[in-house]
Amino acid sequence: MFAYNAKLAFKSLNDRPSLTVLMVAAIAVGLGLFMTMLTLGHQSGKIPIPHISKQIHLIQLDNREVTADDAENFTDMVDLTYQDANNLLNMDIAGAEQALTWNTYGILNVEEQDIQPQRSSVVATNHAFFNMFEVPFLYGKGWDSDADQLGQAVIVLTKDSNDYLFGGINSVGQQVRLNTQVLTVIGVLDDWFLARKFYDRSYSQARPDQALIPSNFAFNNDLPRNARFDCWSTTTNPRKFTTNYLTELKTSECAWITFWAKLPNNTKDDYQAQLGQYIESQKNLGRFPRENQYFLTNINDQLSIIGSMGGRQQMLGMISYMFFAVCLINAVSILLAKFMRRTKEVSLRRALGAKKRTILQQHLIEVIFIGVIGGLFGIAFTYLGLQAMLRVSLYASDYTQTAADLMPYHRMDWEMVMMAFSVSVGCTLLVGLYPIWRICNVSPASQLKAQ
Amino acid sequence: MLKMENVSKIYRTNLIETHALRKVDLHIGAGEFVSVTGPSGSGKTTFLNLAGLLETFEEGDFYLDGQNVKGLNDNQLSELRNEKIGFIFQSFNLLPELPLFDNVDVPLRYRGFNAKERKERIENALEIVGLSSRMQHLPTQLSGGQQQRVAIARAIAGQPKFLLADEPTGNLDSLMAQQVMELLEKINQQGTTIIMVTHDDQLARRAHRNIQIFDGQVSDLALDQTDVLIKAG
Repeated sequence: MFAYNAKLAFKSLNDRPSLTVLMVAAIAVGLGLFMTMLTLGHQSGKIPIPHISKQIHLIQLDNREVTADDAENFTDMVDLTYQDANNLLNMDIAGAEQALTWNTYGILNVEEQDIQPQRSSVVATNHAFFNMFEVPFLYGKGWDSDADQLGQAVIVLTKDSNDYLFGGINSVGQQVRLNTQVLTVIGVLDDWFLARKFYDRSYSQARPDQALIPSNFAFNNDLPRNARFDCWSTTTNPRKFTTNYLTELKTSECAWITFWAKLPNNTKDDYQAQLGQYIESQKNLGRFPRENQYFLTNINDQLSIIGSMGGRQQMLGMISYMFFAVCLINAVSILLAKFMRRTKEVSLRRALGAKKRTILQQHLIEVIFIGVIGGLFGIAFTYLGLQAMLRVSLYASDYTQTAADLMPYHRMDWEMVMMAFSVSVGCTLLVGLYPIWRICNVSPASQLKAQ
Repeated sequence: MLKMENVSKIYRTNLIETHALRKVDLHIGAGEFVSVTGPSGSGKTTFLNLAGLLETFEEGDFYLDGQNVKGLNDNQLSELRNEKIGFIFQSFNLLPELPLFDNVDVPLRYRGFNAKERKERIENALEIVGLSSRMQHLPTQLSGGQQQRVAIARAIAGQPKFLLADEPTGNLDSLMAQQVMELLEKINQQGTTIIMVTHDDQLARRAHRNIQIFDGQVSDLALDQTDVLIKAG
């Protein structure tokens, strides 16, 4: 009976094909827009390094003046000063890995090769960065703690940089020039996709920076500091610390270093206790005038607080949901009209012995057919929609980001393809229930008398 | 075979209550050919719908082939309808987009016969009505009389015990009507009980028995009495 009903359902789709096309088009266009926005939200809402994201915490200490506003969450709080970052690194807290990051920049160049020098964004960090964030390596590895201590002239390149500077070969042991400094390549990263670039707190969709160097090397060579300086107890303009006054910066109360701690299970309480003790000890030195306040915020909470979708996307999302609803209402109106044209046939079939559930099955199959076909075309429309949104995003970023940067956020994965099918079939079934109910309740005697 | 005891059917709206059938007592035996006559709006079609299990009734008992159908649910009624009753309608009610073969196939599908058995039954039924050479034709390619013969083939393909015919010749000219009537008589002679609603007194007289319905009340007349009424009237 299923095969017979499927055959009837298929035949019905061919009956008045223009109506079928209209229904499928309504569903496909609505679904396409809906899934475009859902995919954007899904991709940009992904948590980076999800298996350890709850263990990795941003550490912030409140060294501000007494009159400063209370902070509700990490977004209102300052980062770490140079001295606090170094003190915490030296505390060697059991079970915790700690990394600091700050951003610098310079001109990357390879002397012997005939390539254009490249202005590059560079992360200054310590050796724990690679292990803590599970950074994938294509060649070589990160530096060790000795290199941190000594501020060795070593560099880790990203895959893109290595491709640009060395044509993609294993460049470990080669030398590159960062501004006037010569550094030895000790590692090359593999493709490292982060759903959000969290480690510099930009939470952007940009790809990782071009290179990583030891923080102490950057300090020793007074590389420019690309940071926001939250300073107090100073009457000078904090912006001067960007390129100068390093000695003064190191002892200032300017907070600007991003600090991370990986705290496996059961170590968070100990870590917090030690932070408290540290703040108390610093109070004795006349620092930390406010109450004992600090923030430990894991990656999930950070993303949750800042929100996974921007205002523009949220607005487009709302519009797409409403548009999909309108399209579904259109589709169901056509479906209802199509089904009700068939009351005489259904009445006849009921008279000839068809049970209600047989009629139900036939029409359910037809609705599922429409949902599946709508889903297929909807996926095609979603692809087009994502391509269009990619171009909008490129334009919105003033082309500071590349298509390759943004592509991961504008791509349907299998999860979203399955979701598209489920949404299409599910919603079509849902809105199709009323027409199906109406047709199933056609009385067998109602339409058989000659008109 | 078909027995109604005090069966009543009332149509209700918010304002009006219409007694379509009033306390019908009737017995139709196996193999009978019964005609049902009466003026328009008298309840003929309602009677046929009740007899064909297309509608339910409020009062009384109705035994079809020995089984009381009162209180049966929709599924049970559908099965009973499919198995025991064949329908012939004035307007044929063929599915225009299906060839004759598939039209006759419809009730057999719902009966659950396998493909081989369905094919045999369809070919046999179309053979009986003389249309076996036109199995793949669409109904629109046939004359009215031929279409009604297809409807008869569909009705008899499942070999039901009852054929219910609602003015089967109403849309046909006299020659076609004659042919259809002869076909029904032939089917009746093979043992199928036929209940036929008609406005045509000539055709009604060809039945074994005539039931007249006036204002929802059934008068069960022997054929000779009907003759008297016709002559008187």
